[in-house]
Amino acid sequence: MANILEIEGLSFRYPDSTRKAVVDFHLAVPEGEIVVLAGPSGCGKSTLLRAVNGLIPHMYSGEYSGDVRVGGASVKSSTMTDLAQRVGFLFQNPENQIFMFTVERDIAFGLENLGVPRPEIRSRVDEAMGLLGIGELALRAPYELSDGQKQRVALAGVLAMRPRLVILDEPTSLLDPKTAAELVGIVAKLRLDLGMTFLVVEHRLDLLVKLADRLVVMNEGKKVLEGTPREVLFGGEAEAYGVSVPAVTKVQKLLASDGLVREDELLSAQELAAAVRSAEA
Amino acid sequence: MMWLSGGFIFRRGTSVYHRLDPRVKLLISSLMFVTTLLVRSLYELAMVIAFMVAVAAVATVLRRVARTMALTFIFSTVIFVLNLIVTKNLETSALYAVRFVAIVVSTSLFFITTSPDELEQVMKTFRLPRDVVFAFVTAVRFIPVMMLDTLQIMDAQKSRGLELEKGNIIRRVRNMIPVLIPLVVNSVVRSGELAEAMESRAYGAVRRPTSLVEYKASWADKVVAFAAVAIFVLTAYSFYFVLPTTVL
Repeated sequence: MANILEIEGLSFRYPDSTRKAVVDFHLAVPEGEIVVLAGPSGCGKSTLLRAVNGLIPHMYSGEYSGDVRVGGASVKSSTMTDLAQRVGFLFQNPENQIFMFTVERDIAFGLENLGVPRPEIRSRVDEAMGLLGIGELALRAPYELSDGQKQRVALAGVLAMRPRLVILDEPTSLLDPKTAAELVGIVAKLRLDLGMTFLVVEHRLDLLVKLADRLVVMNEGKKVLEGTPREVLFGGEAEAYGVSVPAVTKVQKLLASDGLVREDELLSAQELAAAVRSAEA
Repeated sequence: MMWLSGGFIFRRGTSVYHRLDPRVKLLISSLMFVTTLLVRSLYELAMVIAFMVAVAAVATVLRRVARTMALTFIFSTVIFVLNLIVTKNLETSALYAVRFVAIVVSTSLFFITTSPDELEQVMKTFRLPRDVVFAFVTAVRFIPVMMLDTLQIMDAQKSRGLELEKGNIIRRVRNMIPVLIPLVVNSVVRSGELAEAMESRAYGAVRRPTSLVEYKASWADKVVAFAAVAIFVLTAYSFYFVLPTTVL
């Protein structure tokens, strides 16, 4: 499948910094993939995300080299308006991306800005609310929503623009475990139903590894590991970069070192339980 | 400050008055405002206030308006005393004092029955620049968020030994500095994030953005607007040509 995102040798340094935030970064993401980006705080993840949706270089100036292409078009030579329709960005704090007084008006915000005619806005807002199951919240005010609901509203606002690539910046960091699991379920559904591509920065890998096609680990602005979640998590280096290896993986490694289960690179509790049962038998 | 928020902050309602087109509500409040300025006697003012109370009753906000009125009396007492000292005329002073109450009520009637969404619509009707309208929208949108922020910072600082309620007034104001600085820093960070989110959702892409909701003055709205203007004209006419002039 064609690559929706291509990052070629991207380097970026903020004007007030002595160190580059991203160094010679390469990544190609085929359409419909879910790519998880992990790494310690300050490793350049946020900068990379901004470079993908065009905030860098359009809003943040700095030393920029290399190229980022979304759907074949260079981010550098595209306008923010154009990029806003191709790349959706769910920021970490949903509170700061809800602008209007009611849920439905906020979801419509981007479309209103684009000058989309009213009937079309209506149908796309309803569609986005339907995808996320928040139709009953349509007329609520932002302060009447829980964190999980705010997150969904913000995501609906992103989806209403019908982007092909969606960036999620630590989407579960403010959510309780149950709501976080629900959000991951939504991502899975959107990929399945609409073929959307996701670039996700996430620390809670246990939720996403089962879903992700690829795991990329960054450190000090560079890409240090890339592969399927199994390859990266069982490669042994991930922990050294501060990646929170899921508990299942750790338990399995311990059991395998004692010879209790074979090292089969299991990622879920179900898989591990099955392996233990078959070892007993 | 709390009384102000009580008398001016919108709460959702379902009355006929709430459902009026926001522009009609603005018209009614403006006309009531102007009428209070035309008033020349306490007798006329009493009529205007009675009308406002009737409107408040229709809007089912009588209790809130009553509270606003009661609290406004602190200010109107000051006005009354000052006027009494200057003019030495009891009725003129009373007129000014009560007029102040009437002015506050006429404005508060608009604000407590009009949602921020509708306010935005009114601003758009006046063709204010998009940036101005949006700045207003976000300012109002983030009031509850900033209030929550303030409470959290106050709790955090109190838990570290800050005594907000101690000392004289100067001391108390100075005690607020450890609350205000984090609040300002938070807001600056927040505004940066807002700007990023706006850019990512195509803010400013076209000169004339469209809108999901359309406010169209209904047939009933037009009738109410016409009635309001008619009542205003009749009232103004009777003030000057029918009722006897007493004070001014």
